[in-house]
Amino acid sequence: MARPLSQCIIKLHEEHHNLEDYQGGVPRWCNGCGDNAILAAVQRLCRDENLAPERTVFVSGIGCSSRFPHYMKTYGFHGIHGRAFPIAQGVKMARPDLNVFVNTGDGDCCSIGAAHWIHAIRYNMNMTVILHDNHVYGLTKKQASPTSPVGLRSNTTPRGSVLEALNPLTVTLGVQNVSFVAQAVDWIPELMYDIVSKAFHHRGFSFIRIIQRCPEFLPKMFEPWLHDPGKTLLLTHANGLQPSPELARTYKNQREHDPLDIHRAREIASTEDPIPVGVLYHNPEVPCYEDLRGAGGPRTVDAIRKGLEAEFDKFTFWPEAEGQDRAA
Amino acid sequence: MDMAAKFQDQLVFHLTGRRSGEGLAPVDARPMRPALLAGYRDLARLRHDYPLVLLENGATDGFAASLTLLVNHVLETLAPRGLEGERLRKHVLRLEREMRAMLAAGTEGSVSELWAAAAAKLADDADESVAKILALAGDTLKADGELVDCDERLPARFMAHAWRHVQAQKGELFHGHIDALQRKLSDILRAAFAHSEAGQRPEALRASVGGLHATDFDFDAMSRLVVRNVPKDQLPAPRRKRIEWALSVLKAQRFHASPRIASDAPVHDFHFDNVAAAVAAYRERLPQVVELVKAMAIADLETRNGYDEADHDPYFESYDENSLAAEDMALFPDYLVSIPVGRNDAPENAGLMDTLSSGLPVKVVVQITDLFEESSIGTGHFAFGIRAARLATAAMGLGGMFALQASSSTLYRMRHRVEQGMGCRGPALFSVFAGAPDHASALPRYLTAAAAKESRAFPAFVYDAAGGENWATRFSLEHNRDPETDWPADPFEYADDSLQRVRETVAFTFADFALCDRRNAGHFAVVPRERWTAAMMPAAQWLALPERESAERIPYVLAVDDDEVLHRVLVDAKMMQATRRCLLLWHRLQEHAGIHDSHAERLLARERTAWEAQQNEALEAIRKASAASPASPAAAADAAPPAAAQAAPAEEAKPPSDEPWIETARCPSCNECQLINPEMFAYNDNKQAYIKDVNAGTYRQLVEAAETCQVAIIHPGKPRNPDEPGLEDLMKRAEAFN
Repeated sequence: MARPLSQCIIKLHEEHHNLEDYQGGVPRWCNGCGDNAILAAVQRLCRDENLAPERTVFVSGIGCSSRFPHYMKTYGFHGIHGRAFPIAQGVKMARPDLNVFVNTGDGDCCSIGAAHWIHAIRYNMNMTVILHDNHVYGLTKKQASPTSPVGLRSNTTPRGSVLEALNPLTVTLGVQNVSFVAQAVDWIPELMYDIVSKAFHHRGFSFIRIIQRCPEFLPKMFEPWLHDPGKTLLLTHANGLQPSPELARTYKNQREHDPLDIHRAREIASTEDPIPVGVLYHNPEVPCYEDLRGAGGPRTVDAIRKGLEAEFDKFTFWPEAEGQDRAA
Repeated sequence: MDMAAKFQDQLVFHLTGRRSGEGLAPVDARPMRPALLAGYRDLARLRHDYPLVLLENGATDGFAASLTLLVNHVLETLAPRGLEGERLRKHVLRLEREMRAMLAAGTEGSVSELWAAAAAKLADDADESVAKILALAGDTLKADGELVDCDERLPARFMAHAWRHVQAQKGELFHGHIDALQRKLSDILRAAFAHSEAGQRPEALRASVGGLHATDFDFDAMSRLVVRNVPKDQLPAPRRKRIEWALSVLKAQRFHASPRIASDAPVHDFHFDNVAAAVAAYRERLPQVVELVKAMAIADLETRNGYDEADHDPYFESYDENSLAAEDMALFPDYLVSIPVGRNDAPENAGLMDTLSSGLPVKVVVQITDLFEESSIGTGHFAFGIRAARLATAAMGLGGMFALQASSSTLYRMRHRVEQGMGCRGPALFSVFAGAPDHASALPRYLTAAAAKESRAFPAFVYDAAGGENWATRFSLEHNRDPETDWPADPFEYADDSLQRVRETVAFTFADFALCDRRNAGHFAVVPRERWTAAMMPAAQWLALPERESAERIPYVLAVDDDEVLHRVLVDAKMMQATRRCLLLWHRLQEHAGIHDSHAERLLARERTAWEAQQNEALEAIRKASAASPASPAAAADAAPPAAAQAAPAEEAKPPSDEPWIETARCPSCNECQLINPEMFAYNDNKQAYIKDVNAGTYRQLVEAAETCQVAIIHPGKPRNPDEPGLEDLMKRAEAFN
């Protein structure tokens, strides 16, 4: 509902933030880490949308990427391994008015947190989720993660990993109530910003997988894609990405894809080379759990008392009442 | 009697309304109804869109549904296709008919009540399964609510129900907002209490722990500990006062009843039966509205901790009713005025037009009962009363409001528009014709109401001032049949004297509608079949004749009597004049809707003439040219427009390669270059790198930065200082990046 009068007054005194207002200290990530690019894009989004820092929350699990909330000067919750989603959902349930972001890594989300991930998609609560996917456990110095490619030599797979990598996009697109799925790469900042912005404006569970470089442990992994723009497939559409002419000149490999077409989205999501970049699926009609359950209901002292009494009454035996029920 | 004599009698009747001779019978001797209504004798036996169910609160899909629709849903759910479901379908449809009959006979109640009553009537002692089937089907009913027929009370009940439905939605939103504000304000006060001296006393701490565990703690020690350690920030007195005031105002509001918490405090009534009372109530409650809006604004600011006393105190001190915006008023319930039948012109409603033009959030329902009132100057002509029947057209001229005109038979089909009108900001007028009064017509009200709409006597239209930028989006005639034509026409079949099928298309005119009302009997005369002449002509065609020709013809309408025998009924000149006037008013409405728009037609004609002249000139020129010399292919090729220039993609403007530069837009903000020289490289507003000062470092640093850059976007160019050591090697390394 509109709050016209107060909105007008607030507009009069609205604070405008610049990028520095969202910077919470110097990141401790390695030099050249792709997380820096994601951080810059998100801080830019916060500035451009003029998000009130006190009404914005970043929730993360454990891992390199999960240090994200430390570097945002907003509210943050550096959670426990794999449990970023339940925490973020709790925040959203209690305070639907907050802007909730989730930063999670490929290990955090797709391994230990996989169950929460699947159900968070199904609940479709309004939050922006960024999966920082560098294909490796970096914080613990190089172990294979669920998205590591076959053959990756790491501390846990010294002879090369033997399992096919899990594809977070196809998994997400396979869950009921999925409403927004996109993919970005950290080395094309303009598109990453556009995608993060699209995700933020979607009302529902916006899932972005960002493929990111780990210069420390997998320094050469994305070299071919970095140096050959033809190996990146831009998904364009009036309702999706519309790259600038300059960028379009460099990245000529483009395809029009309607984000409402889930079958096509699943097909595109399965390709690994070229890497598809853009909005794969976007359906604004999927209902949000917090709307279905009326989150953020009144919690005045009176309301709590009345609610509790109503609950207790259910377990109280009233012979007259029962008699009446029967008569009815 | 010869043909001339027959025509003479008929002409005399047409011109004077006097029946002379034996050949013309009055219509009141045998009740007649328009031929197109022949098929609708007993509405209770017909499945149509009435009766309606006024759906109870909480219905998700609208506020009204037709009984037919609900029964269809039951059948779709329960009865399988084909023979298998036939028995169930038959029983349920019988029950539906019974319910219609009961309603028509005056039984009132909800769908479920009437369903049960009808099922009891139909129950067969010999076959218990019938009762079981009907009870089972009753349980499948998707929705419940009061069942209403298309009678004289329908407009008021339907509109009031739509209004309640919209207000309930509004109330839900309103409470969602103010409950959240109350909760947040209470939280602030609670936190302040926990931080205060009183909140840290042992008693207060004891009270905050559940009974079972209260003995496990030493609250005195806890209190000492807490007092030492918690911050001593107190809620400033003015802020506390503001919060408490806002809370008390929010709690005491009497505008919307809470949908969640039952409250004893009564809320204001917004349903009135006259305009004056509604306006008085609005005025009386205005100070409360101002106070509540103010409290909501202050509460909102306080919950954001955004109340700045220096700025906001003066603002709120001078806050009064002039500060209220339309958006603020939209939070509050709208006033519904249902003017009772016959009170349209009463003194308490004299200010209707004033009220509508003032922009008050009032929804007025006016019920029209008679479309055949005489004009106030007593000329014996129908007035198409400015007083009532044309009220909506007049109101449309006021501009900033919503106006809807409909006959009650169309209300159900227009329910979305009714809901839209009830939900609009500002005033709305609903002018409804509820069918001819019982003393005037033997036909059911549903039919006379429908006839009024079909005959263009009371067309359905919607004008929504907020509907768009122009007339085309604001005004709509979509709920009339064939809005492009003068009269709607339908195929009509009957058997002639030799029992052969005759099929013709019959238009439904104002004269047909007038025939439904027995007070107009004097304007009609029945002609027996043997006296039919070639000079007789259907009224719709007669109207389209030029005046000279129409003088030689006599208009008639087709009608049937109670024995379903078809007659031609002559119409007198006065009635035809009224019919013509009705058509004129309809044309005016059509123009509003862009149908036969005279401005557009004039413009089109002008453009067409200009275009034709241009074409002729061009044709003439070609003709002359071809006469002078035969066209050669080369000349044709020359004349062809030059091939579209291939728009070569503009090359990206790159700085000359001698100068170092960075593709800033591609920078992934990874800090590498700044670690080499933070003076030379810096971030822009988007945290992407650029060369801030090329002289702040060496060429070596530029080359190293280019080499370490993860995405290879640094181009070192040529060295500026020719004396820098190791330049040759550096330039070689730089080549890969330039």
